[in-house]
Amino acid sequence: MIIDELAGIAHDPRKSVDEHIARTGKKAIGCFPVYSPEELVYAAGMLPVGMWGGQTDISKATQYLQSFCCSIMKANLENGLNGVYDALSMAIIPTFCDTLKCMGEVWKTAVPKPECFTFVFPQNRKLEAGVDFMRSELERLRARLEGISGAKIGDGDIERAIAVYDEYRAAARDFVKTSPSYPLTVNARVRHNVLKAAFFMDKAEYAAKLRAATAELKALPPEDGGSRGVVLTGLLAEPDGFLDLFADSRLHVAADDLVQESKQFRVDAPKEGASPLDRLARRLSDMDGCSLLYDSARTRGQKILGMVKDTGAAGVVVCMMKFCDPEEFDYPIYKKELEKAGVPLLYLEIEQKMDSAEQLRTRIQTFAEMLGA
Amino acid sequence: MYLGIDIGSASSKAVIVDGGLNIRASCVRDSGIGSDGSETVVAEALGEAGIDRGDVACTVATGYGRLTYGGADMQVAELSCHSKGVYHVMPSARTLIDIGGQDAKIIRLDDKGRIVNFAMNDKCAAGTGRFLELMARVLGVEVDGLMDIAERSMKEVSISNVCAVFAESEVISRLSAGESREDVARGAHASIARRIAGLAARVGVEPLLAMTGGVAKNRDVVAEIGKAIGCEVAVPESPQLMGALGAAIYAAERRA
Repeated sequence: MIIDELAGIAHDPRKSVDEHIARTGKKAIGCFPVYSPEELVYAAGMLPVGMWGGQTDISKATQYLQSFCCSIMKANLENGLNGVYDALSMAIIPTFCDTLKCMGEVWKTAVPKPECFTFVFPQNRKLEAGVDFMRSELERLRARLEGISGAKIGDGDIERAIAVYDEYRAAARDFVKTSPSYPLTVNARVRHNVLKAAFFMDKAEYAAKLRAATAELKALPPEDGGSRGVVLTGLLAEPDGFLDLFADSRLHVAADDLVQESKQFRVDAPKEGASPLDRLARRLSDMDGCSLLYDSARTRGQKILGMVKDTGAAGVVVCMMKFCDPEEFDYPIYKKELEKAGVPLLYLEIEQKMDSAEQLRTRIQTFAEMLGA
Repeated sequence: MYLGIDIGSASSKAVIVDGGLNIRASCVRDSGIGSDGSETVVAEALGEAGIDRGDVACTVATGYGRLTYGGADMQVAELSCHSKGVYHVMPSARTLIDIGGQDAKIIRLDDKGRIVNFAMNDKCAAGTGRFLELMARVLGVEVDGLMDIAERSMKEVSISNVCAVFAESEVISRLSAGESREDVARGAHASIARRIAGLAARVGVEPLLAMTGGVAKNRDVVAEIGKAIGCEVAVPESPQLMGALGAAIYAAERRA
């Protein structure tokens, strides 16, 4: 099935990126979490590549990062120091959290290749001043990308890139809406890897494959695996061994509120705007319910409750990335709202690389037994 | 007959119940995962009940060794089994503390004995039976002897509840500073109790508060936990067996 092909790409991103570079002659630009402006890279005729850590043993990175630092950033720095990202022409490092803010400076000091571009996001992204600031940062990035590609990025190029990304986002939303009907074929691991493949492919090619994969699924009769659906929230849910614990306990992902997954494609660019960069800036204004985006209305809990209601999920699983301050600050707020609504909640502390997950197995199995799975 | 086996990190436990859920045999051995403890307790329980393996209609395994034990018809998580076992012997229990060899759990139950919420310790030995083993080693007693010396204590010496490794060096420093073993043992118990009280606050405590697991045999720890939480702690007659009992009841229910 096509979903197997996509999941395979997530397991070997280097191969996919290298093949793309060899096939198209395009350059590739690394995009750190969580919302690097990929559309602009795409408009520049280059391949945006997600840099979301990986299953990396940490050694050299400890020279620069404290032990109480999130495992995604540790893995990215370790990979950078080991030359894993040498094929990239640049890495965009945004400033969404304290660790990312430091990472830009560490990268400049410690990692010779690829060079980095620190993209400063506005804190008050809904104010016109914040939109103006975001536009100016996008202009700065546009100029830098033009320097790397050697070609101007026209407004038409950006409009076309936004259209490609909106189509990718629509395809991804359709896939996550469809997949809970196939909990055996699209278990938690497969679902995650299919969505993760987007970070390592041309988005137009990915969207076409994902549309075809979803059509393949829809042609099948719905599966009744007897499992219960849960909503995942957090930064990300990895590694595969962790995700397999859900299927082992007869749980599947009914919906997700993960930054690495649905939050990437929940919101399209606004249809109208003074310019394509204005549309990109205002897309950030329209995104809510994320720990890394200042949200005075604190809408995350209500969004999660909405997902539970819409999907009939039996509970919510918090995948708390160890040492992620923004996620930890959000937790007490939505926990209170979920408890008030009587939604069963499981809190799991995770790291991106976990060699032993037996205690997590006990927690997930107990939660599943509690939900009657 | 129905067999429940609880294979923990430090010990193995087996319980056999009949169709009326009466306990017909039980066995505990201080050898857990990676040993022949599981086979030993099963053989001894079968012998005590006077039955053969063929007389067992269903076997449920629980504990950290539940997946590697080959003789089970079903595996159930230990939190579910402890809850089932405790509710069977103490139907008024609404909160359960289980401190095992390598983890601590707080479980909230409804009036039907179903789990409504739970919390477990993080990847850390503080607040677990392993912490007490380390303390006993430094104090030069068997872990079962900690209670005896702590009960002779005249005061509590403050011991960190953050990390078992740091606490070990802290105990050595306290002893070097002239504090008595009795007072340090009491301090270690109070340290566990504070840790458990913090964990309990995450899910809330509703009486009756029951405690299971091997550490529940230590009266001094139980008393310190009661003080730290501000709630009387009830301990069933055989606290270590509650997981295996719950597993045996699951086996009987599955068969039914």
